[in-house]
Amino acid sequence: MDFFRISTAFMALISLVLIAGLFAFLVLQSAPVLAGQQWSFLLGQDWWAGEVYGALPMIYGSLMVTGVALVMVLPVAIGGAVFTSEFLSPNQRLWVKAMMELFAGIPGIIYGLLGVALLAGWVKDSFGLIDGNTILTAGLLLGIMILPTILTLSEDALHAVPGQYRDTSLSLGLTKLQMIKSAVIPVALPGIAGAIFLGLGRAMGETIAVMLVIGGLDKIAEPWYDLFAPAQSIASKLGREAAEAIGSGQQWSALMALGLILFLLVMILTFMGNLLLKRVR
Amino acid sequence: MSQEELLEKFVRGFLGILSLLAISLLLLILGAVFWQGAPAIDWEFLTQASSDFGASGGILYQTAGTLILMTGAVAVALPVALGTALFQTEYLKSDRLKKISRNLFYSLNGMPTILFGLVGYMVFGVYLEAGVSWLTGTLILAVMILPTLQVSFQQAVEALPEKYRDAGMALGLSPVAMTCSIIIPQSLFGIITGVLLGLARAAGETAAIMFTATTFSGVLLPRTWTDPVPTLQTHILVLAQEALNPKAVAQAWGAGLVLLSLTFILIAGALFCRSRMRMESER
Repeated sequence: MDFFRISTAFMALISLVLIAGLFAFLVLQSAPVLAGQQWSFLLGQDWWAGEVYGALPMIYGSLMVTGVALVMVLPVAIGGAVFTSEFLSPNQRLWVKAMMELFAGIPGIIYGLLGVALLAGWVKDSFGLIDGNTILTAGLLLGIMILPTILTLSEDALHAVPGQYRDTSLSLGLTKLQMIKSAVIPVALPGIAGAIFLGLGRAMGETIAVMLVIGGLDKIAEPWYDLFAPAQSIASKLGREAAEAIGSGQQWSALMALGLILFLLVMILTFMGNLLLKRVR
Repeated sequence: MSQEELLEKFVRGFLGILSLLAISLLLLILGAVFWQGAPAIDWEFLTQASSDFGASGGILYQTAGTLILMTGAVAVALPVALGTALFQTEYLKSDRLKKISRNLFYSLNGMPTILFGLVGYMVFGVYLEAGVSWLTGTLILAVMILPTLQVSFQQAVEALPEKYRDAGMALGLSPVAMTCSIIIPQSLFGIITGVLLGLARAAGETAAIMFTATTFSGVLLPRTWTDPVPTLQTHILVLAQEALNPKAVAQAWGAGLVLLSLTFILIAGALFCRSRMRMESER
């Protein structure tokens, strides 16, 4: 009995160590650059390998593409979730859920290929640009990528609203529409917000698809809201430069510091997402 | 028809159109991959080595590399995930600790995969001296899919009807005997679900392995622990960027269709097993 207990405890410990280790590692490895540059790392706008490292353009890029993805996907995902939960028969609903789970598993590289070969060209031609690799392209691609996640998780939140809320509203003489608007959605709202946070976390961490279509320019666009400008997200910067800086030196340390920022951003989103999603269940 | 009924019809139609849009967008993606990828696929494509820097030939060794990495990752992660899940369901009594550890796992699940690549390379590649190799990639992917497996296993074990446990207790089974003869066999479908989802996730991952485990050319099958492998994911990544060479892009689509089919089969299998698990637990 004791051997069994100790071995499972050991396995559980491994998992804990992995999470703590990941964070500790990022902190330790980014220390040289963070100590050397302090705030100018976070606020600097220039990234010259070997000289100075400024993370602001990448932070800007990450926020921009995630924001664009959110705006694009929100109406479709929430509308789809409400329809699936409230208007479809249980059987149809299961089909939609299964499809969403399947779609959520489409590998990032497939989106990347679609982006490079089709979407970038489409954006270029439709908006008359010189180059199709822009914030908008990356945002569109990310939006499609996180659509199944947000749809299915917010549908979970809507579906988990207890039947008594529905029954009470209907017995008060509300129409189905009024019931959805004034009883179901308000109760499910925290869960829907959680679903959105989790989707955003996924979008912010996506590397491959974004890396291929964002243009890879470490610059804040002029003006900053210009969606047709190329940019660089934290994840795409890591993806592009990890191979050349691999393992040592100041540039690696700077990349690890970028990784630390990404870790913290995604951690906050994921944590809030899970917190809100849990409240419904 | 009253105004309210009209409004309801309108809203319903509008939401329906949005749902249709969501599904058709995703079907469009499938259609595009199939349309572009199908012409490249024939028997030779699946059974030959690539040549001419990927612009011709097949994807045999890339497929092999992907299979090696994903099965290796699951083989490493499986015992750890099973042990963790069992510790939490069988020994951990405190609800607070359970909650904390569940949150940790969800956080690990949401972690950007590129971070696993960066840190994993330092730990496995540099400190354990595995370098850029299939071993490093396997270990990184194993860490990455750990939460996927663990969460599935734990759900499966927790879904077991109480009466199974009671029967075991009544027989005076020790925890080990209980685990081996009741818990694991009875939650088998849940365990298979987790394994299939883990395989699918590992097969679709590119960012974590592109600079830690793979090579574009030179190596076919790994002969030592520290050889890199070619994979479908990184093969597509390289070819996709050869925009000026239509032959290379056509090969990328072919490889993309193979990769997509692989992940879809795995996920569909997982969905099937999960529905079986539900049926079993409702008996």
